[in-house]
Amino acid sequence: MSEHSDHNGHGHGEGHGTGFYFKIYLTLLVLFLISVAGPEIGEATGIRAITLVTAFGIALWKARLVINEFMHLKAEKRIMKWLLTTSVILMALMVAGVSPDVLNHRGNNWENLAAQAAVERGLAEMAGEVHEEEGTEVVEAEPAGFTAAASYGTVCATCHGAAGDGSGVAGAALDPPPANFTDPVFWEGRDRDRIITVIRDGAAAVGGSALMAPWGALYDEEQLGLMADYVMSFNPNQ
Amino acid sequence: MSGRPIATDRSATGIPTHRLAIWWVLASEVVIFGGLLGAYLMHRLGHPEWAEAASHTQTWIGAVNTFVLLTSSFTAVLAHQAAEKGDGKKAAMLLVFTIGGALTFLMIKSFEWYTEISHGYTITANTFWSFYYTAAGLHALHVIAGAIIMGIVAVGAFKGRMLHRVEIIGIYWHFVDVVWIFLFPLLYIAK
Repeated sequence: MSEHSDHNGHGHGEGHGTGFYFKIYLTLLVLFLISVAGPEIGEATGIRAITLVTAFGIALWKARLVINEFMHLKAEKRIMKWLLTTSVILMALMVAGVSPDVLNHRGNNWENLAAQAAVERGLAEMAGEVHEEEGTEVVEAEPAGFTAAASYGTVCATCHGAAGDGSGVAGAALDPPPANFTDPVFWEGRDRDRIITVIRDGAAAVGGSALMAPWGALYDEEQLGLMADYVMSFNPNQ
Repeated sequence: MSGRPIATDRSATGIPTHRLAIWWVLASEVVIFGGLLGAYLMHRLGHPEWAEAASHTQTWIGAVNTFVLLTSSFTAVLAHQAAEKGDGKKAAMLLVFTIGGALTFLMIKSFEWYTEISHGYTITANTFWSFYYTAAGLHALHVIAGAIIMGIVAVGAFKGRMLHRVEIIGIYWHFVDVVWIFLFPLLYIAK
């Protein structure tokens, strides 16, 4: 790697072969995998530091690699680095200056009632203690407009087909093919709990194909049940 | 339009004008995205209840898109390398691959937004989703702009004209990648 600054404006990034860039690319992919796996481990072990370091520490490292080796800022003239550093410093000053007002909801001579109310309401919703108070507007705990049929049409039908027979367009190329819910054989030994598990955690969670991805992030427990009921409605023997 | 642009060869800094210009653009972009992401981060820390909304973003979709953008950055830097060697046709081909990455990214994003919006998570659902759509949307606009400009640059490069543009659009594209590198943990990982 050369530290040279080119004075004629040509040959910028020269001296790097395809192999060098491929090495950087591979390093970026490895860092990317760590940034996905790390937070999972952090969550499983309950050690928050692992999540923060692997998510944000790795992001900084990846950004540095791209900026230095792909954008060639490392070989750029010093004035350019100062220009960009100035931008980052100004941005950081703005954030630092505003942060006490945003991070705190009360100070010496002020109070942000709206923010306090929002936090209180949000935490109550999370704890499932939503109750209507007089004169207070209560935000709906569930996003409006959820129906299992509509969600099936959006999320599942692309592979499993609108009729549940596994004939979805995106499923045609999959091996093993998507499950056919209209086949009575499919339902042998499959109950509602298993369907819920597969929708939430993916088929791999019950020893099936990893091609059936986990969709748990989209639904809460109640919605998962509704989705399972909808899928089970394709069973001809039901 | 005819005649030679007068600014092409002038440079008090010793940096070619076109490269100086793109760095200026990016210096202003740092403030735009930095301000937006800084505001998001502060609100996220000040509002523990956002954890509930944040838990509904689909990590694996964000992860696939991260892979797509990293790969497109790799093809963009190879296009620059080809242009340096004067191989306009190869540079154009690699830019087309990069555009392919941009389009793949946008298709995945459309699918992602479609599922989210159809589940009721719209830009007005709450402040978390407002930030989510604003930040990812502003980024997606940059992806669209980059793809269009790369198309124009690729046509020129294919004819062996103005090969220096390949480097400039590449620097811009890597910046779009860097923004996503920060958006990914902020919107998808830190639940």
